Amino acid sequence: MTYLLQILNGIGLGMLYFLLAVGLSVIFGLLQFVNFAHGAFYMLGAYLAYEMVGRGVSFWLALPLACLCVGALAALTEAILLRRIYAQAHTFHILATVGLALAVQEIVIIVWGPIGGNLPAPDGLSGVVILGDFIYPEYRLFVIGLTAVLAGALWWLLEGTRLGAIVRAGSESPEDMALLGYDTRRINTAVFGLGAGLAGLAGALAAPIRGVDPFMSVEALSVAFVVVVIGGMGSYAGALAAGLAVGIAQSLMATLWPEGARLVIYLGMAGIIVMMPRGLFGRA
Amino acid sequence: MTRLLERPLVHFALAVVTVLVLPLVLRSGTLASEILIFGLAAAACNLLLGYTGLLSFGQGIFFGLGSYAAGLLLLRADLPAAAMLPLVALVGAGTATAVGWLSIRRQGVYFVMLTLAFSQLFYFLAYTSSDLTGGDNGLLNIPRPRIGERVLGGPWAYYAYVAVLFLVLFALLQRVALSTFGRTLLAIRDNEARASAIGFPVRAFKVAAFAISGAVTALAGALHAMLIGVAPLSNIEYHTSETLLIMTIIGGTANLFASVLGAAFYLIAGDLLSAIWPRWLLLLGALLVAIALFMQRGLWGLIERAAAAMTRSPAPEAARPADAAVTEEGRP
Repeated sequence: MTYLLQILNGIGLGMLYFLLAVGLSVIFGLLQFVNFAHGAFYMLGAYLAYEMVGRGVSFWLALPLACLCVGALAALTEAILLRRIYAQAHTFHILATVGLALAVQEIVIIVWGPIGGNLPAPDGLSGVVILGDFIYPEYRLFVIGLTAVLAGALWWLLEGTRLGAIVRAGSESPEDMALLGYDTRRINTAVFGLGAGLAGLAGALAAPIRGVDPFMSVEALSVAFVVVVIGGMGSYAGALAAGLAVGIAQSLMATLWPEGARLVIYLGMAGIIVMMPRGLFGRA
Repeated sequence: MTRLLERPLVHFALAVVTVLVLPLVLRSGTLASEILIFGLAAAACNLLLGYTGLLSFGQGIFFGLGSYAAGLLLLRADLPAAAMLPLVALVGAGTATAVGWLSIRRQGVYFVMLTLAFSQLFYFLAYTSSDLTGGDNGLLNIPRPRIGERVLGGPWAYYAYVAVLFLVLFALLQRVALSTFGRTLLAIRDNEARASAIGFPVRAFKVAAFAISGAVTALAGALHAMLIGVAPLSNIEYHTSETLLIMTIIGGTANLFASVLGAAFYLIAGDLLSAIWPRWLLLLGALLVAIALFMQRGLWGLIERAAAAMTRSPAPEAARPADAAVTEEGRP
């Protein structure tokens, strides 16, 4: 039963990893741009929710606001700054976004201090659910439910709507899309904002579970990388499967070998790379 | 003048000048030693980035392991520094071979992400095996090396020790870069498919580049541990990998001395600015964005431009290591 609870924990964690990774993945798919500031957007989402709730805003309002603010901020950064770098080598994409992440981290320390803080579970979900002999926090169940709905909505957005078709076509051939008369620059900005907004949402959702601190961005970024390395970049199903696998593995290990829980996901990644260099769902 | 800047001998001369000038302009022998140590590690990073086209986010692994290996060999095995250093180089080369072999199974951005994930792996490995590494506290009381009976306790005495090793290893890296092996790395960087089609075992070459880079980086880590007397957990953190990469790119990837320049700039700027404003990394972040936008050839690019302006000849469009090597070779 303990294991069952840990698996439940793992599903919640894994769905947050999925949100992070799918944002990274969509941005890379369309823009061929590795966003090393993705973890910073996640952290910003968490801190914005933390700040708003601290100022008396309801969590239910803070959650969508944090997501929208991060998305808008990211879109603005893309439109002003990052789009000027697309033409250059990957090295400079990485350098610019590493610089951005560094700046965000320092700003977070300046504004909120180096220590970090805790965000209580929102009203109405601060209780526990009784599952047989065990109790389980309501908030974590809510995270699983909400992320599942979001995953479905995202699937529909990417696979079932005109916007999704444009994004997928743009990933295949941006030149053809431009020739067909689509404003690829606006699409790029929108997708960058969407991907970063998902990271911000994941951060805001994670804040009541893990608290906030200025170094959560590096951890989130590297976990997102593990997920896309295992699942394959640009693969929705891969991000979902790998996100869940990493989340569940980490949670199970937390009972078996607490100090090594993080180590295990990286070892697992190394193992998968040896056996399946392309990852579970990777195409190239 | 611009031609001169492409010659490896000039780069080595600049390294010698750096070694001689640092004691004259810096008050702190520790800072001067740090510049040489990180300059060496950045040059090793550049062997991968500038010469092989591999952006490794895992250089901190080798730096950190070098520190730990130095600490363990000096404290537990009671070896003298002279016997410890070759073993540390072996540890670095061995680990880099494994990390490199695994990481190059994927290319492009996947490769970068893998190296970052591996740097997390080794961080957590060091964190969990606290009986070996001291966990959060690190390995304490690492002794300074001794020459004969004399312990190099003073900052400038140790600087001299670091300086000798720095120049030897820098020359060695230059030899590697100029050798047939180094030229082949450039061929791989410029067009991997072509190098492979000609018949070069591309993966073996990449792994070998990793091994050399890892060995030198581990030696730098060992020197750093003896400098500060501790092998801290922070040496194997993501942050160290990031710093080494930033130093390398700030300097510019055109040649190995550019990396020393990048390390010197980073450390001196950090030393000056952190005294005024502890959050100076915010400025560094902005600088990185500016470099990506306007100054892709780094500080070395600025020097090239200045030299070109002085001789009123147009700046070389792409004075890459390849060009430098060819110029050297093609001279009658």
